[in-house]
Amino acid sequence: MDFFIALFNDPVGFWNSHSLLIWQIGINGIVATSMFLVLYSGQLSLAAPGFMAVGAYTSVLMWLYWHLPLPVDIAAATLLAGVVGVLVGLPVLRLRGVFLAIATIGFIEALRLGVILNLSITGKGLGLKNPGADPLGGVNPTLISLVVIVFLVWRLTKGRLGNAWAAIRQDEIAALSQGIDVPRYKMIAFVLSALIAGYAGALEAHLNFFVDPGDAQYGVTRTVQILTFAILGGSGFVLGPVVGAMIFTLLPWVFSGAGAYLNIFSGLFLIAIIVFRPQGIVGRGGLALVRPSWLPRASVRAPTPG
Amino acid sequence: MLLRLDNVQRHFGGVRAVDGVSLEVEKGAIYGLIGPNGAGKTTLVNVLTGYVRFQSGRAWIENDELTGRPAHTIASLGVARTFQNIRLFKDLTALENVIIGMHTRRVDDTLAQLATIPIFRAGQRNRMNEALQLMESVGLPKSSSERHAGELPYGDQRRLEIARALALKPRLLLLDEPAAGMNPSEKQGIRELIERLNADGLTILLIDHDMRLVMGVCQRVAVLNFGKKIADGTPEEVSTDSTVIKAYLGTGGEREVHSALGAGGVAEETVDEEAMSAARDAHEPENAILDVSDLTVSYGAIVAVRGVSFRVASGEVVALIGANGAGKSTILNTISGLIRPQYGSASFDGLDLTIANPSQIVRRGLVQVPEGREILARQTVLENLELATWARRDGGAARKQIEDVMKRFPILGERRNLSAGSLSGGEQQMLAIARGLLAKPRLLLLDEPSLGLAPQLVDEVFRAIEEIHKDGTTILLVEQNALRALAIADRAYVIETGRILLSGSGDELLRNPAVRRAYLGG
Repeated sequence: MDFFIALFNDPVGFWNSHSLLIWQIGINGIVATSMFLVLYSGQLSLAAPGFMAVGAYTSVLMWLYWHLPLPVDIAAATLLAGVVGVLVGLPVLRLRGVFLAIATIGFIEALRLGVILNLSITGKGLGLKNPGADPLGGVNPTLISLVVIVFLVWRLTKGRLGNAWAAIRQDEIAALSQGIDVPRYKMIAFVLSALIAGYAGALEAHLNFFVDPGDAQYGVTRTVQILTFAILGGSGFVLGPVVGAMIFTLLPWVFSGAGAYLNIFSGLFLIAIIVFRPQGIVGRGGLALVRPSWLPRASVRAPTPG
Repeated sequence: MLLRLDNVQRHFGGVRAVDGVSLEVEKGAIYGLIGPNGAGKTTLVNVLTGYVRFQSGRAWIENDELTGRPAHTIASLGVARTFQNIRLFKDLTALENVIIGMHTRRVDDTLAQLATIPIFRAGQRNRMNEALQLMESVGLPKSSSERHAGELPYGDQRRLEIARALALKPRLLLLDEPAAGMNPSEKQGIRELIERLNADGLTILLIDHDMRLVMGVCQRVAVLNFGKKIADGTPEEVSTDSTVIKAYLGTGGEREVHSALGAGGVAEETVDEEAMSAARDAHEPENAILDVSDLTVSYGAIVAVRGVSFRVASGEVVALIGANGAGKSTILNTISGLIRPQYGSASFDGLDLTIANPSQIVRRGLVQVPEGREILARQTVLENLELATWARRDGGAARKQIEDVMKRFPILGERRNLSAGSLSGGEQQMLAIARGLLAKPRLLLLDEPSLGLAPQLVDEVFRAIEEIHKDGTTILLVEQNALRALAIADRAYVIETGRILLSGSGDELLRNPAVRRAYLGG
């Protein structure tokens, strides 16, 4: 509760004292949008943390070793993530559903355990120090990036490209019959999603003094978290995953009063959403809750005659 | 020639689904493609539209070759199709479905979209207007344009799929069973739609099981059987062709009765009405073991069975015959308690089949051998049979019965340790029947036992059925292979679009030309 009281009593002070939280929301929002793109085109790809890692390490290493200006580092890191996206997508995008999910988990784990933890240039398991990070200065660029990316992705879903993605998500076989080159459009979505994730990773790395190769950062834990943003936020609309990222990044703060019971409250909240809003927080039906079939209807008993 | 096929082949393992088919479809024609269940019609469409690869042979649409091209390229060459099981984009609106159909004709507007340049909104407005026009042209109400495609009534979904295909501006439209599951008035509507589209200059390749529709609307018809083209010509030529009649009605085996039907031809149609009314009066047995009356079954909006009544007495062999989609399997599944009827009654030996659950029904002695056999392909023959006795407590007796059944079907005894999936189609059918026998049936329901089997295997299966009958089991047989079924049946009912068209003894019906018409239209 303290959290909300602070928000309403002193918004400016809140903004200044919670900048860490705010940029985290921004980064998570961008990554969630990257997840939205693949889900919107019917691909259950869990590769986002892998592309984030590519973006993060590339941009930090370029800054450390070549002392290039930050925008150049981030741009190059984003592009490299896109190239990796093409290379990963070529073999992997023939798979569908759970099989694609498993293959992309294979990619992120191979990258993290096989490459990042083994190369001395990435600091092996110890991580990489980034003395040039600017946690405070990064807040506004991150939020602006979020707004721009969400806007662009929203526009894309409205055009011919977005129509093709929606068709593929609904029924690949029918999409083919309408002349839609399914492999090509899947690849476009996958690579765009890789670019966005790479960009988010590069940004995030420059908001921290330390690039942590842990599981919670670039591993399965992170990917499940991102998937939670997208699915519970609502994957049918661009804003859904962003709203999901916002709510679930805030959860630990909101329930901070619960102390050790934090995870219980967060878990109950997740279950409640799945049960009462299966389409996600942002989705069809306004904000109406869905009544699960096992929940008894509040019954009004008619008076018995006589 | 608009569409040309030259010796197209496609095999799946050992099955020759399409076996050297050559066709020519003239521009502006409505061309029908018919054939019994499993003849390879849908496979041929899938090969033509790039969903299944060509094994050999070639195909062209005008001067563009279709051979070896991916499905989306073939669509953009102007070959549009609909699907046997409707494949709409269910969670998108009807309008969005049609707009997606314009994909290949649309300029790539990605950059304009990013910049949200207003001029390009005019393009979207034009597309919406065009989509609304297309929907109107196939007879969809304007009010449905904003509804989700999956929420539309069944008939409207079929129409929407056609509108979406038309949005490609196709040179050729392939309709894969557009009238499946429709009632007669909806079918009439589809027929009028097909004729109207054709009058506007569209070439149509129509696949349907409804012979009245195909024969009525097509200028030329080709008939497939076992993957081969067995005839083509005008509807009149095809419907009197003796090989076609044989393919549809089957052959009578040793009794060679098909000549009786083949001679029916067009000339005898005048006596038709008399023959039918005489046949309708065929007396029903007094003390029936199975009594079905006024049975009506629907799947959602589709009424599959409309007020069917019949009886089966102990010791009889009764056949329900009729073309694919007539509602025969639905009747059997209702009797077995797998589907609940909308109204009507069905009782077996005093048990109300409309409320009893399937396991109760089986315990009472009413056992179904399902269509498509439904054996466990990875288990051995013996394991399949053992599973059928799993719920029984009389272990020794059950084992003895398995041995008895294997004696009845020696081939199963020989192959007891082979996986059931490695058996031939005929052997698998034997296994399915054997499994049914282990439930100690008093009434055995057989659903399409000859489905997909080569003629000599059909002989074997029918010989086995006759033997089971001789041992005192009552049999209710559902068959497309009418002549075969009539040859062994004491009595039979001819079903067409969910109704009993006529009934009578097997011999009477064998001589009745109306049976042929129920299959081949007229």
